[in-house]
Amino acid sequence: MSAEIYAILLSIVMVIAVAWPLLLAIPALHSRLYWPRHLAIVPVALLAVLPGNVSLQLPWLLFGTGFTIDDATRWVLAMSVVIWFTAATMITSSKQGFANGRSTTFFLLTLAGNLGAVLANDLVGFFCFTTIMSYGFYALFVQNGNAETQRAGRLYLIFLIIADLLLFEALLLAAFTTDNLRFEGVREAMAKASSSQFYLWVTFIGFALKTGIWPAHLWLSSAFKSTNQATALLIIGVPVVMGWLGAVRWLPLGEHAFGISAMIIQMIGVIGVLYATLKLCTPTSVKIVWMSSGAASLFIAALGTGLAHPTIWRQYEYLGYPFIASLGILLALLIVTIGWTQKTRHQHPAVALPRVEILNRWIGATRQWGEDTLLGLQSLWHVSWLKVVKHYQYSSHWQKLQDFVAGWNATITLFVLLGLALAWLAA
Amino acid sequence: MNWNAWMPPLMIASSLLPGLIIFGLTEERVRLRTVLNLSGALVKLVLVGFVLWGVSQGQQYETRLALLPGLELVLRAGPLSLLFVSLSAVLWLVTTVYAIGYLEHSPHRSRFFGFFSLCVTATVGVALSGNLITFLLFYELLTLATYPLVVHRGTEAARHAGLIYLRYTITGGALLLVATVWLYTLTGTLEFTPQGFLDSLGAEHHTALIIIFTLLIAGFGVKAALVPLHGWLPQAMVAPAPVSALLHAVAVVKAGAFGIVRVVYDVFGVEFAANLGVLAPLAWLAAITIIYGSLRALFQDDLKRRLAFSTISQVSYIVLGTAIAGPVAAIGGVVHLVHQGLMKITLFFCAGNLAETLGIHKISEMNGVGRRMPWTMAAFTIGAFGMIGAPPVAGFVTKWYLGLGALQAGQEWVIIVLAGSSLLNAAYFLPILHRAWFQEPPSTWPKEFDFGRKETAWMLLLPPVITALMALAAGLLATSTFSPLEWAQFIAEHEFSRP
Repeated sequence: MSAEIYAILLSIVMVIAVAWPLLLAIPALHSRLYWPRHLAIVPVALLAVLPGNVSLQLPWLLFGTGFTIDDATRWVLAMSVVIWFTAATMITSSKQGFANGRSTTFFLLTLAGNLGAVLANDLVGFFCFTTIMSYGFYALFVQNGNAETQRAGRLYLIFLIIADLLLFEALLLAAFTTDNLRFEGVREAMAKASSSQFYLWVTFIGFALKTGIWPAHLWLSSAFKSTNQATALLIIGVPVVMGWLGAVRWLPLGEHAFGISAMIIQMIGVIGVLYATLKLCTPTSVKIVWMSSGAASLFIAALGTGLAHPTIWRQYEYLGYPFIASLGILLALLIVTIGWTQKTRHQHPAVALPRVEILNRWIGATRQWGEDTLLGLQSLWHVSWLKVVKHYQYSSHWQKLQDFVAGWNATITLFVLLGLALAWLAA
Repeated sequence: MNWNAWMPPLMIASSLLPGLIIFGLTEERVRLRTVLNLSGALVKLVLVGFVLWGVSQGQQYETRLALLPGLELVLRAGPLSLLFVSLSAVLWLVTTVYAIGYLEHSPHRSRFFGFFSLCVTATVGVALSGNLITFLLFYELLTLATYPLVVHRGTEAARHAGLIYLRYTITGGALLLVATVWLYTLTGTLEFTPQGFLDSLGAEHHTALIIIFTLLIAGFGVKAALVPLHGWLPQAMVAPAPVSALLHAVAVVKAGAFGIVRVVYDVFGVEFAANLGVLAPLAWLAAITIIYGSLRALFQDDLKRRLAFSTISQVSYIVLGTAIAGPVAAIGGVVHLVHQGLMKITLFFCAGNLAETLGIHKISEMNGVGRRMPWTMAAFTIGAFGMIGAPPVAGFVTKWYLGLGALQAGQEWVIIVLAGSSLLNAAYFLPILHRAWFQEPPSTWPKEFDFGRKETAWMLLLPPVITALMALAAGLLATSTFSPLEWAQFIAEHEFSRP
């Protein structure tokens, strides 16, 4: 097969990957099929494994948008396939009303928007597809939900509307500055533009709201608290990861040193990581929220570094997409692990993790021991971690430690990997 | 008279003749009335398509008839006229289908469809007018043709609404007449000309011209429902749904907005009007109307009233785009003539379906209606997202061009107005969608009619689905050939390029 024919075939698969879920979203179609959610993922899975890079421009669509599949995009696409496939399997095997026809429509609409956003090669395409994705996701999130879910949905919607308005302003600014709205063109043009600082902040705040980084984490927190496991998985795959992807694609990274603004963004990232870590240790926190928020903040810190040092970003730019995909997969893995662990213990809801009280009991035991020994001015030889463990054993059982390690192995792995990734990027 | 000169009168006659025949038909002649209605609408559509193609190829279509010494009745199919005529022709066909289904068992159908056709005739006349006096004649005919439609139900509320409508529109018409006569005495011509025909007047006339501009805007502003001249529009909601659709999307409100566009582009000229200092206040007035309409819409529980206040807000986008005074904003304003029409007619059709099928008139009664009428509510959802300006529906294209135009003209404040309007639109449309799709439906609806296994009659269902798809296509395929956007760009080139 010649290279040209192969490129045409790849382009066709790329268009089908987005159009197929949209088509299947029609109730009359998907109601006649077995496993429509899984079927909708087939073309994109094929696209993710087929080698080769291709770019397709559609001048008649949305001000002349286009799709691109290349090695970098393939990372995020592969992550999307894994997350969507897992979510589809969870929903299909669910015995609740979540697997109804309406849910399938919203699922497929969200999927189409998600895939379109990943494959879009310009700002308009990305914005349009993320809009379809976000509102589809809202529908998926609140349907069949209880009052708490609806409240969380409303909060998400408010954040979404504000974020979209900000991003629309950024889009207008970019279109006013340059005729070339492809990501690389905008990046180059906006770095040189007089309005670059304004563009940077509007874009950053827009995506920060979408990804739920500290201090814009309210919707994320309330969404995770009130939803089931499949939707929790999609929260990672849909608004959070797409927000990270958008930030990488829209921000003028690697073109210009943004000085103070970059430093502030770095600081927000670092504060976010610290705050998320602290919150992880509090007894009442929903751990996955802070895992996600922490990962997003880590990502923001990396973005801030890229904005502060364009040469560093250019040098390591190729790592950006694998980094996003890895974070997404790790968070997804975490949710699945938590869900699985809780399922084996007959605990609901999927992500609230009451078992993490063990960690808090460790902290409480440590504090108690500190009060008993240090504040009681007893001899310093008592100060040993063995005592802490012993004290904990009095208040609990050794078995709980084993439970903790078993239940949180994914988290521990995640943090080790994140630490490694951060060290790698920093180096 | 050559063949091309016959085309504008033929376009007018294609709705006038069926309308006049329908007036004479008895109530029982349902089939003949339907045939006349639909054939008239189809013939008009074919004629418009033919002229549209001709104009894009550089053909001229103009008819002149002597009216008074020195005054002619001029019908001309230019790019701007054709945009409005195309909208009217397409939506008339769809609305006719809808009205046939809606009024299936109602009394006085011949009277209704007679005035309905007359109304469209007047709208096409307004669109094709080649000078201000022709415009004024058809504009007044439109007032007279729509009054019987507003009071069609014959209830006390309908008569009251009709009276208010007449008071407003006749006052507006009187203001227009004064301004037109004054203008004629100053210039000796009323011919619509690209870039206007007033720039030859000396500075000593500038005060008079500012007053004339104010009178014209006030006259057209009544029908365009500019604040504070909007009071008739929410009252007119007592009319049947096809009339509301016609008032809001095709005829009356649009005629007012189109009049303002004509005054700015073809009477004063954008450059001259900007130098005269009248465009900035017009832009502010439009901005105030946009925000005011949205704020009022937020607090309405009656669905049609909420949509009416939404119209007040949305139509001012057209005025805003015109008043920003730049080619890009002009594209946004002009294209919104079509986009608002498609989206708003969808919403009114859906409101009519809810009322006719389930007896739902209030938003608080809409819980779970998406499960009972999924296609209607899917169409409503597309229309509502378009109004918010969410991509890929047509409203996004409008906001894009208005925003870009504002940046180009250095009027950044417009962006804040657009953002505020989008936010308010979301605030009053999304709760409706949430209720319809995600709330539990009640055990019984206010007044349910039996349509068997179908959600409603196909003649009621098909029009909103078609117009919703058109609104979606107008956004999604905005840059394709013969899209409303392409045509609006053609108009902007025509209006902003010096010969």
